[in-house]
Amino acid sequence: MSDSGTAHAVEVTINGERYERTVLARQLLVHLLRDTLGLRGTHIGCDTGNCGACTIICDGKLIKSCMMLAVQADGAEIETVEGLAADGELTTLQKAFNEHHGLQCGYCTPGILMSATYLLRHNPNPAEAEIRRAIRGNLCRCTGYVHIVESIRAAAASAAEEAAR
Amino acid sequence: MLLESVEYVRPESVDEALRALGAVDGAAVLAGGQSLLNVLKNRVASVEVLVDISRLPELGTIERGADGSLAVGACVTYDELDRSADVRQGHMVLADVAGHIEDQQIRNRGTIGGNCCLGDPTNNLPPLLIALGATMNIQSASGIRQVAAEEFFFAFFSTAVQQGEILRSITIPAIAPGAGVGYQSLAVAADSKAIVRASAYVRANGTIEDSRVVLSVVGPRPIRHTGMEGRLRGAAATAEAVAAASEAIGDDIEPASDAHGSADYRRRMARVVARRAVDEAIARGASR
Amino acid sequence: MSGTPVTETTLERVEQSEHLGRWSGKSIPRKEDRRLLQGQGTFTDDGGHIHMGYAQFVRSPYAHARILSVDTARAEALDGVYATLTGAEVKELTAPFFQIAPEPGGKIAEYCLAVDKVRYQGDAVAVVLADSRETARDAAELVEVEYEPLPVVVDSIAAAAPDAPILHDEVGSNVVWHGVYDYGDVEWALQEADHVVKIDRLHFHRFSSTPLECNAAVVNWDPGTGIVEIFSNNQMPMFASLVIGPALGIPSNSLLFRSQDIGGAFGIKIGSYPQITALALLSRKAGRAAKWTEYRTDHMQSAGQGNERTFRNIEVPVMSDGTILGFKVEAFDDAGAYLHYEPLGAVIWSQVVPGCYKLKHIQVDFTETVSNKCPTIPNRGYSRLQHLWMIERVIDIVAHELGFDPVALRKTNYVQPEDYPYRTPNGCVYDSGDLPRALDMALAAIDYPSWRQRQQELGTGSGKRIGIGIGTTLDSGTNNFGQARIINPDLPFSGNGEAAYVKLDLYGEVNVNLGTTPQGQSHETTAAQVVADILGMSPDAVSVSVGFDARHNTYVAFSGTYASQFAVTGLGAAMGAAEKLRAEIIKVAAYALGAEEEEIELNDGSAYVRGDEERAIPFIGIANLVYSNVAALAPEIADSVSLNCRHVYRPPFEIPDTETKTGNLTLTYASQTHACVLELDEDTGAVEILDYAVADDCGRVINPSIVTGQVHGATAHGIGAALWETFEYDEDGQLQQSSFYDYHAVTALDVPHIKTSHLESPSPFTPNGAKGMGEGGGAPLHAICSALQDALGEGAPVVAESHNHWERIYRLLHPESGALRGVEVRSR
Repeated sequence: MSDSGTAHAVEVTINGERYERTVLARQLLVHLLRDTLGLRGTHIGCDTGNCGACTIICDGKLIKSCMMLAVQADGAEIETVEGLAADGELTTLQKAFNEHHGLQCGYCTPGILMSATYLLRHNPNPAEAEIRRAIRGNLCRCTGYVHIVESIRAAAASAAEEAAR
Repeated sequence: MLLESVEYVRPESVDEALRALGAVDGAAVLAGGQSLLNVLKNRVASVEVLVDISRLPELGTIERGADGSLAVGACVTYDELDRSADVRQGHMVLADVAGHIEDQQIRNRGTIGGNCCLGDPTNNLPPLLIALGATMNIQSASGIRQVAAEEFFFAFFSTAVQQGEILRSITIPAIAPGAGVGYQSLAVAADSKAIVRASAYVRANGTIEDSRVVLSVVGPRPIRHTGMEGRLRGAAATAEAVAAASEAIGDDIEPASDAHGSADYRRRMARVVARRAVDEAIARGASR
Repeated sequence: MSGTPVTETTLERVEQSEHLGRWSGKSIPRKEDRRLLQGQGTFTDDGGHIHMGYAQFVRSPYAHARILSVDTARAEALDGVYATLTGAEVKELTAPFFQIAPEPGGKIAEYCLAVDKVRYQGDAVAVVLADSRETARDAAELVEVEYEPLPVVVDSIAAAAPDAPILHDEVGSNVVWHGVYDYGDVEWALQEADHVVKIDRLHFHRFSSTPLECNAAVVNWDPGTGIVEIFSNNQMPMFASLVIGPALGIPSNSLLFRSQDIGGAFGIKIGSYPQITALALLSRKAGRAAKWTEYRTDHMQSAGQGNERTFRNIEVPVMSDGTILGFKVEAFDDAGAYLHYEPLGAVIWSQVVPGCYKLKHIQVDFTETVSNKCPTIPNRGYSRLQHLWMIERVIDIVAHELGFDPVALRKTNYVQPEDYPYRTPNGCVYDSGDLPRALDMALAAIDYPSWRQRQQELGTGSGKRIGIGIGTTLDSGTNNFGQARIINPDLPFSGNGEAAYVKLDLYGEVNVNLGTTPQGQSHETTAAQVVADILGMSPDAVSVSVGFDARHNTYVAFSGTYASQFAVTGLGAAMGAAEKLRAEIIKVAAYALGAEEEEIELNDGSAYVRGDEERAIPFIGIANLVYSNVAALAPEIADSVSLNCRHVYRPPFEIPDTETKTGNLTLTYASQTHACVLELDEDTGAVEILDYAVADDCGRVINPSIVTGQVHGATAHGIGAALWETFEYDEDGQLQQSSFYDYHAVTALDVPHIKTSHLESPSPFTPNGAKGMGEGGGAPLHAICSALQDALGEGAPVVAESHNHWERIYRLLHPESGALRGVEVRSR
């Protein structure tokens, strides 16, 4: 059993890069990402785990990083929005959002991209109802979701086309 | 949105967890954290030590017995319940309900144990577990004891689990041949907070032989409505008879009034969801 | 009976730029996206300062109480706490905020922290600065405040009563403004009418657009320069400067606002100036920058909520042929505990006095009060959507009560296409539009006849009902701030304007600065489109500075992003500056190429002689001549060009007549017509949206995809407000929805697919034919209430509330026997 304490050493791998830090037990994972490690693409929009702006993928699972303690992520492999585009080359999903105007203020966008990434990994050809269900945990106050759904659908179609080639 | 100072420990076995929980009065279980972290962030309650059981393998299994019963570890997540072939084979309603709790992110972390142990009256699984006739297996230093689901829930933060104990698993019996389970919520919005819920187990053969009708969000804890159950017993398994039986729900329940619904509305809606849950249970039973 | 306006406003058609067309009108993908898609946006919490502290406000749990004492000793003793600030200090250090209201309302003494009294749950009484967010949060809990609770008033009409608890002793009443708007002759109309429909009460509820990013600011009062640097997401920085400067007793040019990416604002982020004022004092006291990132709970309680308006004793004169002559109504607006931008809401609605209709005889007796609730702030649709909702309810209820077809009744009374420009009873001018066609388009999109048939086939007894609703609305844009004088004749405000700056940089790069604070409205992209058109180049080569920065010196008093105006004011300014730069480039090119100015064309970053493309000079060459090689340029040209072109777009407004309350109050009027189909569950009142369509007309469209996105967003907000989103206070003034757990912001499962169609009625009054749009006008509220009324059928109570959650719908479906319907008809 690890020692009980208010501070703990944690080791996390984020977008393929390994970090070792000491965190307070009370620190939320989202604050480790933003404040300690300077990965500010993941955002905070509420106090109750409802808005999804903090969504990331942790050990392959889509989660809200404000609803997990940093210390609970010890040993985890984390993917955030910063890890999507390699060397500034936007992914098929990101390009689809740009082509279909899937973002306005951009604050919900990182969380939405992670939710869409997770969806398309598990369901490469989702119907509209499945897309909407997949982003149920991500609030957007700008787009009314219509172009977001369209962007994800288009990304799925593009990915299918690329795979067929 | 920030927790008070707290200690954290991650035991490597259930026994270690029990020792940690028993050591300090202010120790609490942390599993998925999808309810508890909100409570702590908003400083509604405080905890001295968080005992993280979310990675204990012995709490994360789903086993289907030869008799069709399910043994579900307390740390099984909603998403795991949704996708489990074992659950879907004989307890589809459990997969359905778990698969519609809030959103994917919460389903990936939230656990069946947490859904039960925080005692939030609006939680999805407690009324279903009561309808299913589940048994809660509580472990302490002296061993494991059983508590029927319908005796497990007291109020917000208060269940049959005492200080120094832990909910280890939940045993769900097979749904008998000719029986079915229904679950109906009136929610604020899709996959959202419930205004009122009902879950029903009905065994029928043209006539209703046995039932459990459970209401929740009608008070501090989910309850079986024995009045409606009484009227159902021996009644025809028809929509009209079920509707008549639902009239038994009345001033005997005292739901709260809040922004989502007045007490009077909740009382009326309890009748509606109970009727619909029983209708659904009859339909599901007939198709098995 | 009111008189005719003293001054007749004339509006001339404006010459529109001949250059727009290659890029304007196209859905080019956005420049903003690259950084936002990679998580590289810079939102306010992403910014900071070396050695800064983190701020946390201490807020009152009581809705109304005397502050007996504030003790910060325990907080200050906590390790890591830098400083605290209380109301008592603030009272010594600052002047009360400037008030828009005339006396007695104008006597309100509001400071950036509560002094002597708290007046709403969430009213800030102190602020602490500490070395981390956690320490600040912990320290805030250690501030000990002793309160003496006072009686609470949470209803506007009750607040106006003589025995109500008074919020501001210096005012002596809770009524902060009252006026009667009287146009035509409504008494005559009521006598003349074949029918008078009397509606007891209509109530428009409190809600908010709740932007996903809360308020935030990093404020640094630099001791060396005396400059207060503010990096924030405030969306109206110049209004904030006008208010904060005098409060702090510093000149306006000591306040340097800057913003970069903003995560939505919708009017709510106009209201952060009190917190910024407190942070400035805290920064000066602590000798370090103060960073504040608002928590969602604080945001819900204190950032600002939309206007709540109660209409009562509504009388509507109607002729037998369906012509509606006008209406008479009493309106009570609830401003909350303090006046932040209020009581402008008491006049802003009059931009759309008759709504979409040719109503001539209108009387509105308007009272605005304070109450023990969160201060009102101009939430999306500000003050117009409340009034437009009321008018749409009136149209809808008149149709139901008198048996008119709802489509025909609207078309009978609409302003017709041939009527534009249409002067409304109070002198506003509706610029252009085609409402009948828009209605046809929206109804076609849902296949209206088919739904009517299904509704009939459904009949009764299935447990479900179908309701089909229509909502027409206007989105008035580009305000004449002179309307403030109707509220308070002593206010020296009028007109409007926005600034932009377009230049060639040292190597000929094109750069644009704007005076706006975009929060998702795609200013970088649309500004690049119009500038690219005017300079004959690709928008990819036009660089637009991200966000607002006072150091760019590109602002006027009204700068910011709010009130549905960017396409007119912001782009008007960008176009004006680009035209100036174009003229300068041509002048230099003509000299360099030995040609006449009329012969010069611009294309793809080069100036050339028409018909002789070899004779060309690239922009880098133009820049070289003006910047680093200026002796090679003829002196008279060098003296007259700078390649740094600033333009202020100024819409042609005059000062309104405060006696008659008339004038041209807004330049453009976009419209939206919504059609929706609902399915109601008779047993529960729960609703599902089966079909939804919008026909949008915002004049000439610069980027169709962006306009559609704005329509969707406004529609989602309206649907949310209609069915799910509300702020309610109990009788002790406790907010029932202070988190997203209780305030259900709509999700992707709640908002349906929105079918959107467009028509373009260009505005004759703007430089590009565009109209501002974005707020939307709240049409979902109108359409959903209309659909509910339709589902309820004959003899049902009126849908009198703008917010209808399941229980309310259930009660409308199953009214108590003998309950009043809320409407009465008196016929000749």
